[in-house]
Amino acid sequence: MNSATLTLSGVTRRFKDVYALNNLDLTVGAGELVALLGPSGCGKTTALRIIAGLDRADEGQVLVRGESIDKLPAHKRNMGMVFQSYSLFPNLNAEENVAFGLRMRGASKAQRRDRAHELLNLVGLDHHAKRFTHQLSGGQQQRVALARALAFEPDLLLLDEPLSALDAKVRANLRDEIRALQIKTGTTTIFVTHDQEEAMSMSDRVAVMNGGKIAQIAEPDVLYHTPANEFVAGFVGQMNRIPAQISGSKARVLESDVDAKFDWETQPAEAVALVRPEAIEVTPAPNGNATVVARAFLGPMSKVMLQTTQGFSFDASMTSDQSASLHSGDSVNVSIKPGQYLVVPA
Amino acid sequence: MKRIRIANLPLMVALTIAGLFVLFPLGSATEFSFRTPVSGGHGLANYVWFFTAPDFGHYLWISFILAVSAAGILLVLLVPTAVWLNLGGHKVRPFVEFITLLPLVIPVVALAIGAQTSLPDFAQTNEFVLAFMYAVLALPYAYRTLDTGLKAVPLRTITEAARGLGAGWFRTIVQVVTPVIRSTVLASLFMTLALSLGEFTLTSLLHWDTFTTWVTTMSQSNILGAIALSVFSLVAVFVLLLGIGAFVRPVSNQAAAEED
Repeated sequence: MNSATLTLSGVTRRFKDVYALNNLDLTVGAGELVALLGPSGCGKTTALRIIAGLDRADEGQVLVRGESIDKLPAHKRNMGMVFQSYSLFPNLNAEENVAFGLRMRGASKAQRRDRAHELLNLVGLDHHAKRFTHQLSGGQQQRVALARALAFEPDLLLLDEPLSALDAKVRANLRDEIRALQIKTGTTTIFVTHDQEEAMSMSDRVAVMNGGKIAQIAEPDVLYHTPANEFVAGFVGQMNRIPAQISGSKARVLESDVDAKFDWETQPAEAVALVRPEAIEVTPAPNGNATVVARAFLGPMSKVMLQTTQGFSFDASMTSDQSASLHSGDSVNVSIKPGQYLVVPA
Repeated sequence: MKRIRIANLPLMVALTIAGLFVLFPLGSATEFSFRTPVSGGHGLANYVWFFTAPDFGHYLWISFILAVSAAGILLVLLVPTAVWLNLGGHKVRPFVEFITLLPLVIPVVALAIGAQTSLPDFAQTNEFVLAFMYAVLALPYAYRTLDTGLKAVPLRTITEAARGLGAGWFRTIVQVVTPVIRSTVLASLFMTLALSLGEFTLTSLLHWDTFTTWVTTMSQSNILGAIALSVFSLVAVFVLLLGIGAFVRPVSNQAAAEED
């Protein structure tokens, strides 16, 4: 087991006048898997490349086990990396690809062969050891790339959207395999992705990035249920934006008064309540405050599209059993489950 | 038996004419090279004549060494340069492309005079200066071939992967990039070798003797022998290139062989 801590302290990277990273701070514990999640251009890949030594920071420090590695070139950082595009060397077979890092470290031929087979066995491809890149599927290539990145026991494993190029089924399988392997080897891992499902299902913690900064870093469930701001709330999971009227410390949402929980300096003229679809309670009522517009069956869960008497639309999520009695045009009462909302200025 | 499709007929006629245009003179020269004027028949006398000539092996060896050196110089210079241009040196690419085109627009006579007036004495008195000059002449072809090959592979990803795995730049270029673009490197090598082995003008203007100048001198005393020599040169270069091509098999063939 090879676990190292990673610290990014005030890391800034500029491209002319544009800040790719803006004073980024991040601490990753030994053996932890942290996902950097965010939209295109948020700086997540830049951060990963700076950690790997493939790009340089204009300001700030990168520390592994508390020691600065800023001056170390990429090939001396002892970090395994898996790329989005298939990065296997086409002139080498799977075994030789996995053994490449060990070859660079002067391991003997026997050591390299044994370790390569051990890792290929771990990713379930030992029987494909002699196959070349073009004889492997996309998923198999990424498994070999993962084995290659782990073969020399790196201090950190860096995954740069390794599942993006794969089809949905392979992606789901490999996602679980990566996580299982990461737990088994205990390697501290940074996982860059723009897919929130991947980030939430694989990581110990998720860092949501926006504009070169971390908007929020937390455990997946904390991030989902208590987003720190509107960006995080909107980026992670589905979110309804329901108009709210502010009155003192209260906000009136869906004809009910809820605690606004705001800490704004000046009270906004208009506000919205950010509410998850599953935080909306729907009860059939003859003269309710909303109408069922449509119902979408999604297997065990269903999405119910609603419209209030004031005319704004939003979605509710419930089990398919619960939604079975709801039909288009039905009158219902809707309310928000206590505490499961965030009121922000509109 | 397969039928010849009517649509392919013009193509086949064109290929046949082109083939005859190339093969007819070659066949004629080969037939001519086997003639024996004394007996009036055919034989190996002209080949025996140049094979037994005292300087044959010497000049052939010189030409071979110079050609290999020129190819080596070009590869050492061009592979890292082309890699750098494709990874980050985009700003200087137009300038480098301009430089690589110069040998096509500067007459060989000007190159020779330039070499004679500007190179230091130690360079002018060493025949290996020809290897550098040949490398200059092959530059436009070799550079473009390498550049095209590098554009066809995910260069950034594989270089970054290699560096991440612990390879410095030197090992990345020698052990990863060069094998990956092997077919392109070989194509550059072939062109440089072929150009160098057949180069006459520059060698003659710089007053050096290689296999090509020796052939010219010899042809003045025995025209049939000279034709035999030309046919031999052609076949020798062809066999050499074929040999190199067979020795370094493409990646896909290696893989297929492993599968078998």
